[in-house]
Amino acid sequence: MAGEKAEKPDTKEKKPEAKKVNAGGKAKKGNLKDKTPKKGKPHCSRNPVPLNPGLKRKKMEKVLATVTKPVGGDKNGGTRVVKFHKMPRYYPTEDVPRKLLSHDKKPFSQHVKKLRATITPGTILIILTGRHRGKRVVLLKQLSSGLLLKFVIATSTKIDISSVKIPKHLTDAYFKKKKLHKPRHEEGEIFDTEKEKYEITEQRKVDQKAVDSQILPKIRVVPQLQGYLHSVFSHKWSLPSQIGVLNFLQRS
Amino acid sequence: MSERLWSKAIFVGYEWDLWSQREHMALLKIEGVFAPDGTEFCLGKRCAYVYKVKDNKVTPGGKPNKTRVIWGKITCAHGTIVMVHVKFQRNLPAKVIGLRIRVMMYPSGI
Repeated sequence: MAGEKAEKPDTKEKKPEAKKVNAGGKAKKGNLKDKTPKKGKPHCSRNPVPLNPGLKRKKMEKVLATVTKPVGGDKNGGTRVVKFHKMPRYYPTEDVPRKLLSHDKKPFSQHVKKLRATITPGTILIILTGRHRGKRVVLLKQLSSGLLLKFVIATSTKIDISSVKIPKHLTDAYFKKKKLHKPRHEEGEIFDTEKEKYEITEQRKVDQKAVDSQILPKIRVVPQLQGYLHSVFSHKWSLPSQIGVLNFLQRS
Repeated sequence: MSERLWSKAIFVGYEWDLWSQREHMALLKIEGVFAPDGTEFCLGKRCAYVYKVKDNKVTPGGKPNKTRVIWGKITCAHGTIVMVHVKFQRNLPAKVIGLRIRVMMYPSGI
């Protein structure tokens, strides 16, 4: 509740300034315009400084406008002056101090995910873990979640896929694993229920074909690349020290 | 999937201070690492001690089987002898000294 009230004056302040000619309007707007918070007073207490220091106290008294409403019954005076906004049924016993603005702390979904320089679209990667470990793969694009980046070795081989159009609906949500549900219990079948099996959706098949048809010709053009992609990576043929030297050379 | 995607390493022993050993850190000698360049490549990589036991246990991504793992991570190099410090999630049992530990190639930086 407090948060809502605080933001209203901020947005409405700009409007009155722009439209000074039209300053006549609702009484509420006029009030808000007058009560811009003063920031000159030094802050003496040890409590954290709220965003708009003077705003909270004035909110309760001045912003609430009143409305005159008709009331039924005899000898009641016919009308009542009633608050436009009712007081909330509950508000906390202590004023909760507003959280300080934190600098640059974003949830994971808003993080900037940087790809290392060796990984670009069209690079052939070796997948290190998971069901497809050891397989050589062409990178198409980076998804917003930045998944898989650490579990992949980038080789120096690249294909030019700048002209390949990747369907736009291929996002993290598209690739997310679906939970396989056990079907609900029906009468008489309590012990017969099987788990749903994973089935490849038609959408996947269509997308796969669309992408493959564009990329396979590019692969066939490069000699021996198709065979290379077929082959599986093995650690037998490389030692960490060799890879270490390569790594060092790449970085320098 | 018969190809090996991990480096061979041996669990040489635990970390020592002057007079006593500290079991929370392990020392690994990785095959093929002869120089500090190799050690630098291995830093941060995940390690696994893989072993088999009588009972079946759930395996992520597969059927329950008898294989179990203790996972660890290479933290830093050990001196000039090109060995490596590893911190495992659970301390390695002492009877594994001299036995095989797998050093994975991920998290990869190349």
